[in-house]
Formats: sequence, structure tokens, C-alpha cells
Amino acid sequence: MYELFIAIRHLTSRRRQTLFSILAVGLAVTGLMWSQAVMVGFTDEMYSKTVDRMAHVTVEPKEGEDYIHLYRKLTEEITRIDGVVGVSPVIAGAATFRFKDKNKNVVMQGINVEAQDSVLFINEDIVEGSFRDLEITPNSVVVGDALAEKLGVKIEDTIDASFPEANPAALKVVGIYNSGTPLDETIAITSLPTAQDFLDVSNVVTTILVRGDDRERAQAISEEIDAMGYPASGWKETNPEILQTLKVEGTSNYISMALIVIIASFGIVSTLFMAVMEKTKEIGMLMAMGVPRRSIMMIFVLESGILGLLGAVFGVILGAALAMQMGTYEYGTEVMAGITSIPFVVRIQDAVIIVLFTFLLNLIGGIYPASQASKLKPVEAIGRE
Amino acid sequence: MSDTYIIQIKDLTKIFGNGVEIRALDGVNLNIERGEFLAIVGPSGSGKSTLLNQIGILDTPTSGTILLDGVDVTKMSDKQRSITRNRQLGFIFQYHHLLPDFNALENAMMPLLISGVKSSRAREVASLMLHEVGLGDRMEHRPNQLSGGQNQRVAIARALVNNPSIVIGDEPTGNLDTKSSESIYELLRKLNREHKQTFILVTHDERMAAKTDRIIRLVDGRIAANSHNSV
Ligand SMILES: Nc1ncnc2c1ncn2[C@@H]1O[C@H](COP(=O)(O)OP(=O)(O)OP(=O)(O)O)[C@@H](O)[C@H]1O
Ligand SMILES: [Mg+2]
Repeated sequence: MYELFIAIRHLTSRRRQTLFSILAVGLAVTGLMWSQAVMVGFTDEMYSKTVDRMAHVTVEPKEGEDYIHLYRKLTEEITRIDGVVGVSPVIAGAATFRFKDKNKNVVMQGINVEAQDSVLFINEDIVEGSFRDLEITPNSVVVGDALAEKLGVKIEDTIDASFPEANPAALKVVGIYNSGTPLDETIAITSLPTAQDFLDVSNVVTTILVRGDDRERAQAISEEIDAMGYPASGWKETNPEILQTLKVEGTSNYISMALIVIIASFGIVSTLFMAVMEKTKEIGMLMAMGVPRRSIMMIFVLESGILGLLGAVFGVILGAALAMQMGTYEYGTEVMAGITSIPFVVRIQDAVIIVLFTFLLNLIGGIYPASQASKLKPVEAIGRE
Repeated sequence: MSDTYIIQIKDLTKIFGNGVEIRALDGVNLNIERGEFLAIVGPSGSGKSTLLNQIGILDTPTSGTILLDGVDVTKMSDKQRSITRNRQLGFIFQYHHLLPDFNALENAMMPLLISGVKSSRAREVASLMLHEVGLGDRMEHRPNQLSGGQNQRVAIARALVNNPSIVIGDEPTGNLDTKSSESIYELLRKLNREHKQTFILVTHDERMAAKTDRIIRLVDGRIAANSHNSV
């Protein structure tokens, strides 16, 4: 591999240009690596604030039916699907809540507390009282803090619930929760039997919520449930805007950072052009010694590739070090979907992809000056001084 | 026939230029014997370098043929030309054209590395060759650390290291003072005797030409005289 020998010697001989090229690419890659760490962190944070707090899959009644009748059997079957970690049958219906002189239309959700917690971790959201009391105290309700404020209710107060075609009930407030979403103003949670009695239905539910061990498994799980005859949809279908947000942020970020790396690589290519011009006689002499055109080309492509590779490795290490050093970025206020800070997440696969991308980019960028070198005619290159 | 003649040139013509036509070589016929030590002389612009570049397959002719060891080089592919230049030909130019980033030893090793010889072996052979040209004590020096004459010796070592059957030199001493010219000439002559390689040298130095086996005189791209020197 004399080509590599020559390429490396060329680089070490013009040390200043070499260091400068590596530095330029390196700093661009540092930016790319660092912003990738922010992007991954943002994505993770976005998921943990949204998808990780919602049901991965939602199951609905069969076509043309209002309720899932045999929900216990279906729940058992869903529990047996690979990767399912939580299944919660829910009955939901509209209700008007009245406390003293205040009225509010709400969605009443009847749940099984343990099941619902396995899907939505509701117990983490409780600020007063407890969800468990729903199953101890008949005709009890847990309301969101915003709803409690609107109605002016506290724990132990009794709310009058009514709705056309429903059985009016007096519900005792046993808990107040705060999920940090606008739903805190509209959702009131009761036990399954309480909601079923109010809505005047038999032992049926309107939806079954499912959680998988991995959010990416939602599609597979929902397909299996579909196959059981119940329409199921994954979180990507029910909340397409989440993916949309991440995609837009991610793409614009990639494009701008990749552009910087491309510009830095142009530096390498132009240095290479100058080197080729400077070394015309040398190239002619190499040809006279029997170096074939392919190898002349390879020498210069290697030079470009080596610079790109070193720059990329240097940049990835520096970018990762910076990101890990900073740890998290604190915004101070909520920017979106409850996100107040972004952790920097450094992933090996990102480092590998960035290094490969930069290396390939420089290999390709080196092709043009290298092919100019290989097209020289030996006599003309050696010249006649 | 091709056993005695290592080089056979037939009707070789090289025309340069678009618009104004320059016949740098005009129907040259020349046979060169194996092991000959030959001088090409002639006025400036007579086509000496052009002829040498043709023999060294650094350039292609307009018409005519050149046989090296019986093989027509004008019909070779680019790759075959490279291989032939590497294995069969050694070049010495007026300027040494050493690779500036490599020391004397590495420069002398280069043709061996190019032909795929392992670097440890190339090192041995090149170092022997540098000793032979009298530069055994300067092997680690780069071209900018050596004198013109020393660099030219490195260039000679490089030209001969692959044991080529033909060595061509375009005014190899043209850039040196009389004293170094003479010692370079003596060196080439010694190498020619020891290695039985064919040497073709372009020179302006009539005294040096007189010491060769044969003198080819070019005028306006034609052979004007072809005379053997008495030894
Ligand atoms: N690449 C070229 N393009 C156009 N004309 C050329 C080229 N190379 C050589 N010539 C012309 O061909 C003729 C022969 O040139 P060549 O270099 O062979 O002469 P030479 O005998 O080596 O001269 P010198 O003793 O000065 O080196 C000259 O007229 C020269 O101008
Ligand atoms: Mg000349």
C-alpha cells in the first residue's frame, strides 16, 4: 500500500494545512454531535412527557356497537399478547357536575384503579386523597385540580352528577389529581360500577387502554387486537402531531448541521486542489515510475478521507465531551408539552453515523481533485523547465 | 533480430500543435542494441527530449512504432504502459524530480514499492543502490538537505533500483558543474558495464558524448548522423 504511505507523508509534510483542515471539520462535527445530543434528549423528553404517559394502544367497540360487551375475556386475551404490560378497561360518558351554584360538563371515566395505574400511572398524579378510595367508598369520584377549582370543591364534598338518560347520583370527592394537561379540567374518574350505574348500562366498557413494554411495539400490539375483531389504534394514529413535531424539529436540525459539515469539507477539497497543483511535477514523476492513474487517484482520495476521518473523530469526541459535561439544558420555563429542560443524550450509534457520514463525504469530495491529478499527462506534468 | 535490438523505432513521427504544426520528430528509424551506451545530441529544439519521452512511453507518437523488447508500446493500454515504465524503464531528468517529502532512501525505494516489493526488502535493495552511487551516508536526508549532485545520484539510484533493462537520461548532468558532471558520467558508465543495462542519454556536452558507444545526432526531428565511437 504505497498509496497510503505517500498520502500520509503528504499530510504530515504540510502539517499546518493538515491541522487546520482537521480542526475545521472537527469543529463542524463537534456542532453536529452536540446538537444531535440535544435532539435525542429533546426527543426522549418529548416522549416521556407525552407518549410514555398515554395509552400506547386504544381498543374500541366492534363496528356498529356502542360498547365492548365481553370486555373481561378480551382484557385477558390482550394481557397474553407479547409485550403487553398493562390493560385497563374504561367506560366513559358525559355528565354534568353541579356543586352549590356551579355547573360544569365533564367526561366521567369509570376505571379499575390498579388496571388504569398499570397503563397510565395515575397514582403518580394524585395530589390529595387517593384513587384507591374509589373502590372502597361507593359513589365516589376523583377530579382534576382544575375542575375542583372551577366547581369550588374540596375533598369530602359531594357533587351532584346528572345527564339526560343517566341515573343522577351524588358523588363524594375522595381525591384530586394533577396530570399537568388540559384534561385536568374535564375528566372525572370513578370506579367502573359507579360509572356504569350512572350511565345506566350493564357490565360493559367503551374502551380498553393498553400499554406495551416499548412504545415502538404499539403497532404490533394493535394489529394483534385488530385480528381479534376489535378496532385498535396505536399512539401514532391517535396522536400524529407528536411524531410530526419531532420530525420537523429533527429534519431542520439535521439539514443545518449537515450543511456546516459540508462547508467544512469544502475546505479540505480546496486544500487538496492546491496540493494537486503544487505537486504536478511530483505526480508526473510518480507516473514515470509506473504509478497507474488509479493509484494516483487513490493517493489523493485517501488524503481527503484521512483528513475527514480524523476531523470527524476529533469532533465527535469533543462534541460528546461537551454534551456530557453540560448534562442538561434548563429552559427555566415550560417550552412545550411540559418540557422545562432537555437532557443531552450521547449515543454511540450517533457518533458512528456522524463519523461515517463525514468520512464518506470527504472521500467523495476528494474524488474530483484526485481525478484531476490522475488525468495529468506524464510529459506535461514533469514539464520542461 | 529482437534479441540483439532491445529498442526498434520505425518511422516515428510526432507532430505538436494545433494550427501551427511542429514536426518534433519526422520519420525517425533507429535500432538500439542491448547494453548499448548511447548519446543523443543535437541543437536545441531538434527533438531530443521528444524522442526520449517516446522511448520512455511518457507520450504517444503521431505515427510510427516503437518496439521495446519486441513489444509494440504504441498498442499498449494505459495500465500496461505503467507496468512497463515501472519494470523495464528507469528515468533520470535534468532536474532530479525527487519527491520532496521523502528522504533519499525512501525516494530510492519508491519504484520497488510501486512494483509491490515488501518494504523491508525494498529498503535493503535501495540502500545497496545508494551505497553504489556513493550516498550510503546520506540516506536519511531529504532532497532539500542535499546538493544538486547528490540529489542527482539519488535520482540515479532510483532509476536503477528496479533493475530496468533501459535507462534514459535527459541531460542528466545538464544542471551540474563540470566536476560533478564527470563523476556522474563515470558512475553511469560504471553501472552500464556492471549491470549490462541499455543507457540512452541526451546531452549537450560533446566531451561526454565522445565517451559513449554511439552518437545519434538529431536535426529538425531527423537523424542527421549515426556514428560509432572507437573504444
Ligand atoms: N508539448 C509541446 N507542445 C508543442 N510543442 C512542443 C512540445 N514539446 C516540444 N515541442 C516542440 O518540439 C520541438 C522539439 O522539442 P524538444 O523538447 O524535443 O527539443 P530538444 O531537442 O529536447 O531541445 P533542448 O535541447 O532545448 O531540450 C521544439 O520545437 C519544441 O518547441
Ligand atoms: Mg530537451
